[in-house]
Amino acid sequence: MGSILIQGGRLIDPASGRDETADIVIEGGRVVGVGPGLRAPDGAEVIDAREKIVAPGLIDPHVHLREPGHEHKETIASGTAAAVEGGFATVCCMPNTSPALDSPAALALVRERASKGGACRVFAVCAATVGRAGVSLTDIAALAEAGAVGVSDDGDALASSAVMHRALEQTRDAGLAFMQHCQDPELTRASAMHAGEVALRLGLPGWPSVAEELIIERDVRLNRRIGCRYHVQHLSCAGSVEIVRRARAEGQPVSAEASPHHLLLTHETCEGFDTNAKMNPPLREQADVDAVRQGVADGTITILATDHAPHTPEDKSAPFEQAPFGIIGLETALALYAEALVHSGLIGWPRLIELMTINPARLCNLDALGLGSLHEGGPADVTIIDPDARWTIDEGAIKSKSRNTPFLGRQARGRAVGVIVAGEIRLRR
Amino acid sequence: MTSIARTPAPNPRGPDPQPPRNTRGVAGVLALRGVDAADIRAILRRAAAYADAAPGADTTHPALRRRPVANLFFEDSTRTRLSFSIAAARLGAAPLDLHAAGSSVSKGETLIDTARTVEAMGVAAMIVRHRCAGAAAAVASRVACPVINAGDGRHEHPTQGLLDALTFAQAHGREDGFDFSGLTVAIVGDALHSRVARSDAAAFTALGARVVLAGPPALAPPALARALGCESTHDLDEALGAADAVQMLRIQFERLADTGAIAGPEAYARAWQLTPERAARMKRAAIVMHPGPMNRGVEIHPDVADGPSSRVLRQVDNGVPVRMATLAMCAEAAADHA
Repeated sequence: MGSILIQGGRLIDPASGRDETADIVIEGGRVVGVGPGLRAPDGAEVIDAREKIVAPGLIDPHVHLREPGHEHKETIASGTAAAVEGGFATVCCMPNTSPALDSPAALALVRERASKGGACRVFAVCAATVGRAGVSLTDIAALAEAGAVGVSDDGDALASSAVMHRALEQTRDAGLAFMQHCQDPELTRASAMHAGEVALRLGLPGWPSVAEELIIERDVRLNRRIGCRYHVQHLSCAGSVEIVRRARAEGQPVSAEASPHHLLLTHETCEGFDTNAKMNPPLREQADVDAVRQGVADGTITILATDHAPHTPEDKSAPFEQAPFGIIGLETALALYAEALVHSGLIGWPRLIELMTINPARLCNLDALGLGSLHEGGPADVTIIDPDARWTIDEGAIKSKSRNTPFLGRQARGRAVGVIVAGEIRLRR
Repeated sequence: MTSIARTPAPNPRGPDPQPPRNTRGVAGVLALRGVDAADIRAILRRAAAYADAAPGADTTHPALRRRPVANLFFEDSTRTRLSFSIAAARLGAAPLDLHAAGSSVSKGETLIDTARTVEAMGVAAMIVRHRCAGAAAAVASRVACPVINAGDGRHEHPTQGLLDALTFAQAHGREDGFDFSGLTVAIVGDALHSRVARSDAAAFTALGARVVLAGPPALAPPALARALGCESTHDLDEALGAADAVQMLRIQFERLADTGAIAGPEAYARAWQLTPERAARMKRAAIVMHPGPMNRGVEIHPDVADGPSSRVLRQVDNGVPVRMATLAMCAEAAADHA
């Protein structure tokens, strides 16, 4: 493992509040120097980072790597290659695999595959209930011991209030965050897209915003006396932003994440039955997009997450009502976040990087490993960003096994040009 | 599907439209919403010409003669399938029926694989019916031949909308320009779950009519009317009094049973049935339509269904020329494209 000098970049480390021109020296997989005018160690590789942003390795706390069980859609190898291509040094994978990540053995399998073929760091969020069936709790303490960095039945909400109550208690006791996929199942049975004008025109069963709001509202109330760290996944509508804002104002340990598509697209994207616009939660209205963006700007939403959800062209070629939900996101996220939040003037780069590094690190306890920040002695995970790089989202360049995204052909601005994971250069553009 | 490039056409009756194109670049008809009035009128003019053709006249079409046209019906249908088959036969084409049951569809073949297999047999066009909204669009985006939507879930049934418009035009002497300005159409019943309501609303509003959705609030919600560019009322008598035509939608109790939207057939009939008394209070020239199959004694009284203002059989009759026009114009556009 060689040494590296990253020279002359704009170093942004939100954890320490640094935003200055500085060099970084990496040796033995660790950061050994941060500051101006550093000298390269003998034989060091020198990376010219002038006019680039040098940030802690980006972290995506919500991806679907599909392994084990759905390797035709994605594998840990292909999903982490996509992550690195998009600038990420760490991803947290969701437990809706087959079998579900509901046992220490399943977590060990993911860890083993990631250590063999993973291009970046992989941590796993474990299932809250056995088989993600929503009935019997998993052994959350044992799963935390086995390395789980969060608890979620993502893809489904934990609908039973009684089960949720116990899950919050046990997740709290394990020192983890509970990550809820907020969707009342009864109000969304067979729903295919946001309940609104477009669904009425297309004759598709609608998915009301209140189905999301009700679960958040219930959970926040349930959690008042429990005090678990409670995290709202891929929040999609204005009412949800309002509930999270209120809970945070009361000082409750509540956080929320937003996904690229909910920051940029509305239900109009479903016109013409484009199954790449079919998401869970669904694309909603412009007022919701504006509210989610505002929630990021005012500090209600503190984490960005792609919900990277690969599906094959065959999966997505079904009629809209039958097609699976979700889109890939790792390779396009940085530019799309920048478009929605930075180029639009809502926040600056330091804040965007905070939402993609130290905040998700804290959610998943990765800050305890030194991830999410850049400091001497810490792990050498670095992402170098050209904030003004202009590029076109091109199907042929996608590293994921799947191609399901409505953003193909979009003109993008801002791109990772370098990724270092534990001192190894994984991306150099 | 929604934008139509107009090209000059050799038809002496006026410029023909380029029907909607799918993403593979070939013409098809997937929906009426978003289609220009001029394009709808061109199909209706062609349909009227076919309807007027003398019995026994040669209506075969050079782009379709001896070519297979596939009916891909993944959902039960009698009249629509027959109507398309007759239309294809009158154009000189060879209609092919694929029944979902008994085909490889029942062995788990996907919709798209089935469509591609049928396409590989060299069909001139594909007619698709499926229980899911967006099914015809899904097929159209992955085959190179024209696709005609014969009903996709609750979304649209465009040839039904066209045949209803033709029936209405004939009744009110509007066959010259197919301009329905100043006329009102009431669509009564379960518009929310109806593909016929969506295609009718698109066609009639495009042609200038005022369209009113009338039904119980759960089945004809104001938000739906707004989304479709219509008005709504929950007062049947008000809707009937203003109407120059009423389209009585079939109520599907089997689908509504557990929604709580309506109490049951008797209660529905009391509130929403088109009875002889109600029909008698309609405008003298108003017509009664029903897309079929009818629940006699539920949404429509048998005496009204068979009465002098009923155009139910005329609708069935008009299905053939409308589908001939649709098939012929799609085949012409595909030939131009090739």
